[in-house]
Amino acid sequence: MTALSLARRFELSRDDSGYPSALASTEYAPARLYGIGDPASLVTGFSVVGARKATPYGLQAADLLAGWAARSGYTIVSGGAIGCDQAAHRAALANRGTTVAVLGCGADVVYPRGATELLDAVARNGAVVSEHPWGTPPAKWRFRTRNRLIAGLSAVLLVVEAGLPSGTFATADYALDAGREVLVVPGSIFAPECRGANRLLRQGAQPVTDVSELAAALADALGPVRRDAGAQWTLDGVEPSQDLVLAAVRTSHMRPDDIARALSMDIITVARRIGRLELDGLVVRFPDGRYGPTPPHATR
Amino acid sequence: MAQCTVRAATVFGLEVLPVDVEVDVGAGLPSFAIVGLPDLAVQEARERVRSAVRAAGFDVPNSRIVVNLAPGPVRKHGTGFDLAIALGLLIATKQVSPSVVDGCVVVGELSLDGSIRSVPGMLAYALAARDASRALLGPRGLGVAEELDGLEYRAITHLAQSRSAPIALRASTPYVSSPHERDGADFLDIAGHEQAKRALLIAAAGGHNVLMVGPPGSGKTMLARRLPSILPPLDQKERLETAVIHSIAGLEESDALEGVRPFRAPHHSASIAGLVGGGSPARPGEASLAHNGVLFLDEMPEFGPASLQALRQPLEDGQVTLVRVEGRMRFPTRFSLVGAANPCPCGFRGDRARACTCTPGVAARYLSRIGGPLIDRIDLVFDVDRVDPALLLRESDGLSSSAMRRLVLESRDRASARGLGPTSSLQGTMLLKACQLDGSSARQLEAAARLKHLSGRGVTRLLRVARTVADLDRSSRVTVDHISEALGFRAKEDC
Repeated sequence: MTALSLARRFELSRDDSGYPSALASTEYAPARLYGIGDPASLVTGFSVVGARKATPYGLQAADLLAGWAARSGYTIVSGGAIGCDQAAHRAALANRGTTVAVLGCGADVVYPRGATELLDAVARNGAVVSEHPWGTPPAKWRFRTRNRLIAGLSAVLLVVEAGLPSGTFATADYALDAGREVLVVPGSIFAPECRGANRLLRQGAQPVTDVSELAAALADALGPVRRDAGAQWTLDGVEPSQDLVLAAVRTSHMRPDDIARALSMDIITVARRIGRLELDGLVVRFPDGRYGPTPPHATR
Repeated sequence: MAQCTVRAATVFGLEVLPVDVEVDVGAGLPSFAIVGLPDLAVQEARERVRSAVRAAGFDVPNSRIVVNLAPGPVRKHGTGFDLAIALGLLIATKQVSPSVVDGCVVVGELSLDGSIRSVPGMLAYALAARDASRALLGPRGLGVAEELDGLEYRAITHLAQSRSAPIALRASTPYVSSPHERDGADFLDIAGHEQAKRALLIAAAGGHNVLMVGPPGSGKTMLARRLPSILPPLDQKERLETAVIHSIAGLEESDALEGVRPFRAPHHSASIAGLVGGGSPARPGEASLAHNGVLFLDEMPEFGPASLQALRQPLEDGQVTLVRVEGRMRFPTRFSLVGAANPCPCGFRGDRARACTCTPGVAARYLSRIGGPLIDRIDLVFDVDRVDPALLLRESDGLSSSAMRRLVLESRDRASARGLGPTSSLQGTMLLKACQLDGSSARQLEAAARLKHLSGRGVTRLLRVARTVADLDRSSRVTVDHISEALGFRAKEDC
């Protein structure tokens, strides 16, 4: 484990004026915060969390919604974990936004492995913070308490993907306890990876089905957008497709064999059609071989 | 002074070298010595010869017997010299007429009761004898090869038969080709897997190497086993090439002689020598045994990295050159590579029913174990998903192996009519010439390369596959349709 040394380190105790106000109001606010980067970035933010074993759907949702929020000037708070968390951080960085990573180990300890570059970038464009002293090694139980901090540092928490049981689900519980607004991206009823998210919806969490709904919720809780992100983010303008193959992969991610069977088409036609759609930038192939729609903001 | 020379032969790599067995029976203390770089098995011939000669009712002279195997510097291996030594001894002591071995190459192992066993490489010896305008004197057991055109073969099953010289020549009839499938594995047996079947059809038509990715039990092995059934039958030259390699390795060669392409599936614990050839005496490896056929590497990432890298030369050059003190030997290795891999160590990444237990980093690194240089030789990569059980009970509505083979043959004719060589090895300007892209498809290809961040090699692979798809489509030009279909078979790292 290497240390992040380039950016500035800071420590904040609960009575410091720079101590994040949103966190201070919660009962579990830690006595001391250790961080690297800019302490001023610890304003009340927008948390984006999701499964580590994310599906392409979760990653795309994190990319779209965190990307839009960052571009609009909100601070993206997440846990630095692989999967949805890192997708949210990356989306924030790609859209020149501010982002805060809350770690379950010392803020100077790189975990998960391989996140050095990402955490470096987060420290330069926000902060990497932890309630644990410098050099604390990662441990399972610290990551559960870390989730409280993620909820505490923000006014709105968005769950992009959660299975059952999951740490993400626990984070949502903390957020509800602390009186935060919890938003959820609905998932497929067939996907076990979406069970947790869909249960949160049933329990009364607010569904997010487009950027405009997220915009309304963030405006209520955090104030209006500071920058106009542009029109390409919305899903509103996407017309239902006459193309059966495109329509099929939009509803659920499928392999060519599944598409051919679902549409009763022969494999050659499907393979050529899906290849053509990919050439046109309308669908993407995921690492597991399934195809899904390209989100609107990535088409350009 | 009684002497006799009998022509025998030894195998060096895949070559058959003539060896003269000189037997001298002379005065001196009774002894039996074999000289001329014999290995242990050749030395042991003394005991077998002594017993067999007596069992056949002949006498072993109570004299000094010296056997010299010439040329001296060549190392002699194995038990194939037994018969030549015994006959040399019997001729030198005038118990058998010299006409028994006249114009013959003598190869065979003796058993203690005087009967004669065959040794690995009988087919190779027979062909070498034919090339030297000699007959092969040896045990029965050449099977189909006995019918090979121009082959003179004298069968001897027991040493006692050498009393009646000359030994009858077996009639040699012209060999009639009759391609047939031995195990009857047919693509018609496979329900679902339409994309995989299509990919294998393209692979067979263009001679491309493929990699199948899918969870355990999804049918990767089942699919691979059926690839030989859609490859064109072996032609006369290929049959002999493959049969000789199998014969020397001590395997049944009749399948190859009947035109069935070999299918070799070495386990992932195979050593480098086992894969590409080696050992002492050097034997052909799995890559050579799969010559003109299919080499199937199941669980490809589990193979040792050194073993996989050792496959690079055979894949690129179509042969392996082994250098030994005695000289260089070449083993041909023109095979279609079919790799199979789990998507991750636990095997269930992307599976619809079972959750993957691997961390994302581990899963991503797993396939990269195969290594870039080898992946570069694989044109088609595709997923093999576990098939819905309901589908297994339904009858397959896909193409049968024979229908697929017709498409393969037709498409191969098209490709060879171009005169640019096999599609799977086209590169650079040759590849562009073969594809005849028009303006719009060239633009689409450029767009695809940019959009998917394809490397130069990635574009080459894409175009090769597109060329074969066009051949299957009876199209002289590669169009956007063909590029679109080929795009679905690109490697995982080109996502």
